[in-house]
Amino acid sequence: MPTTEKPSPRKPSKSFYFNTSEHLLRIGRQKATTLSELQQSLQTCPEDSIFQHTFRTLQEHHFIRQGFSNDFAHWSLSACHEPALAEQLASVDVREFTAVEGLRGRMVEIVDEFLQSHPRSGSRPAHEAFYFCAADLVVLPTPFVTDSVSGFLDGLNQVSVHSIHHHFIEARLRLHRMSNDFSQWLEEEVGLLEAADAIERIDIYTNTMEGVRRQIARIVSQAVN
Amino acid sequence: MKSIDERSPAVSSATDSRTPEAQAATVEIREEPARGNGRPLPPSVLTPPAPPPPLHLDDYRSIIGQAQVDALRFLARELKGKTVKMVNSTAVGGGVAEMLNRLVPLLSELEVPTHWDVITGGNDFFEVTKAFHNALHGSPYELTKAAQEIFLMYNEQNRERLQFGEDMVVIHDPQPAGLIRSREKTQANWVWRCHIDLSNPNAAVWEFLRPFVEQFDAAIFSSQSFARQLPIPQYLFYPCIDPLSEKCKELPDSVVQTVCDEFGIDRSRPIVTQVSRFDRLKDPVGVVQAYKLAKKYVDCQLVLAGGGASDDPEGAIVLQEVKETAGNDPDIIILDLPPWCAREINAIQSASTIIVQKSLKEGFGLTVTEALWKGKPTIAGAVGGIPNQIIHKLTGVLVHSVEGCAFQIRYLLTHPEFARSIGVSGREHVKENFLITTNVKRWLLLFRVLEKAKSLRDDKSS
Repeated sequence: MPTTEKPSPRKPSKSFYFNTSEHLLRIGRQKATTLSELQQSLQTCPEDSIFQHTFRTLQEHHFIRQGFSNDFAHWSLSACHEPALAEQLASVDVREFTAVEGLRGRMVEIVDEFLQSHPRSGSRPAHEAFYFCAADLVVLPTPFVTDSVSGFLDGLNQVSVHSIHHHFIEARLRLHRMSNDFSQWLEEEVGLLEAADAIERIDIYTNTMEGVRRQIARIVSQAVN
Repeated sequence: MKSIDERSPAVSSATDSRTPEAQAATVEIREEPARGNGRPLPPSVLTPPAPPPPLHLDDYRSIIGQAQVDALRFLARELKGKTVKMVNSTAVGGGVAEMLNRLVPLLSELEVPTHWDVITGGNDFFEVTKAFHNALHGSPYELTKAAQEIFLMYNEQNRERLQFGEDMVVIHDPQPAGLIRSREKTQANWVWRCHIDLSNPNAAVWEFLRPFVEQFDAAIFSSQSFARQLPIPQYLFYPCIDPLSEKCKELPDSVVQTVCDEFGIDRSRPIVTQVSRFDRLKDPVGVVQAYKLAKKYVDCQLVLAGGGASDDPEGAIVLQEVKETAGNDPDIIILDLPPWCAREINAIQSASTIIVQKSLKEGFGLTVTEALWKGKPTIAGAVGGIPNQIIHKLTGVLVHSVEGCAFQIRYLLTHPEFARSIGVSGREHVKENFLITTNVKRWLLLFRVLEKAKSLRDDKSS
């Protein structure tokens, strides 16, 4: 069987700057005590509330491997006891969206469909209220800047999981494309197309963020060794 | 009998005008040892230990990692030289003073010099503010003109006494809220940090305080449900623990063993523990009942470790009820400990197989945070701030009844792998959200956000 030669990594023309983001949690003005109120507030709440309860909550619970995906799903189960709705909301992968509005639309659509087929569920009081929050975001540099694959692996292993989340998950909202900062740099600057693609396919919902870090490191190491 | 009382420190230190440091250096000692269920406390716990040495940011590196320490330093860099004043109503005792004792040195070490002032007042002032405190928690209270005047008079006195030359002024809780009247004379950002549950406040007291609160640049609450409809931004800061404190730091096994030996706790058998005051809202009687139901199926001991029975008539009654419910079961160990027994509490929590906090009403529930931090599978009532900490079946288990608590004790003792996995996730949850270092980060973020908003306002006005 012929062996396929691995492509040699290129010398990147641009360095990779590992940044991180920190968030300050702001309590919003809206709250929901029923699924109908959730449905209404989902349509009118600020974009940064949708971001907080989906992208950001994933970061806050990065250590959980299963059963936690976004706050709307969690509340539907724990406070409204609607497992079918919770499953549908939990199945929404934030990485399928490059803008928060699209994600909002999907959440609203799921709740709409559920309430159409379960009209009595809309007005049943929840065990506890859902409080819409939002996050003020501050992006910070880290000490890690690299223009080599080995330096990339070194930085990847040393930055916080918040930095991994910033580059791997939040990035698509900045890039407005179905990718992430790691894949983009490895593809465009280093020429590791397959590795870039494999990284993009990592399942964030069955992994902790530490697990994501390890998988990225393994994919990149295998691509160059 | 005199004693340190964690619940009502404001009154005891009300007229003490010494600096927070000077007050903190003095501690009253119990005249008599507290006792458990017939078991005398060991001599080692009868006097308070020496205060621990001050901690530095680098001490936390082994816990939160270099990257998080770097993030704090980066966050602080933009604030370098900005000054902060924290104002509260007591220097010793209570969660706020304990938190400020940790927070102030860490912010200062990050080159955000932070000064801590304590307001002064007579007993009449602290009687009024204690009543306000209870009323804001929902207790019935008739707000009189006289109470309002006392509140305003002492706030005016403190306004004249204190200087507000800092860039950020943080007022903790309602007692010093009237200091906001000094705002016009300053360039500072003013923040109101409310540590109490405002979800169901006495309307008259809240309407009296609201005009003060609305003058701040921002308010901070400990839970989403405590926030009010206000015209200012409201932020969520969870209460936190210090992982290096006597209560939370990792203890050598020999220390854990010694403490267990002293209290007659058998580490070779499962240990179920609740740490809390002997207070009906903590439902210690319900815990004994749950233990008895579980004991029909699984072998275990129950440790109820708390305080408050010696200096609180209500606590003594609850303790008596607990003893009566416990009966003569030698596997139930009831300990009424002095408030300085942080190391002993830590050792008991560390030795426990399961930790319970079966509260019927709760603020945030820092004993739950302590249990989760020690990686213990934790069973807790789904009340107050506990669901923020315990995500059911992921970071612990939530219960709503004695029977539910009993079942979870049985389940966790017979499913050690599941128990271990929720313990691991619980610790990570605390590491991410409920450590003092996370709160340092929140303060730095808030100061940056407020400074940015202020410079935008200044640009517009110029």
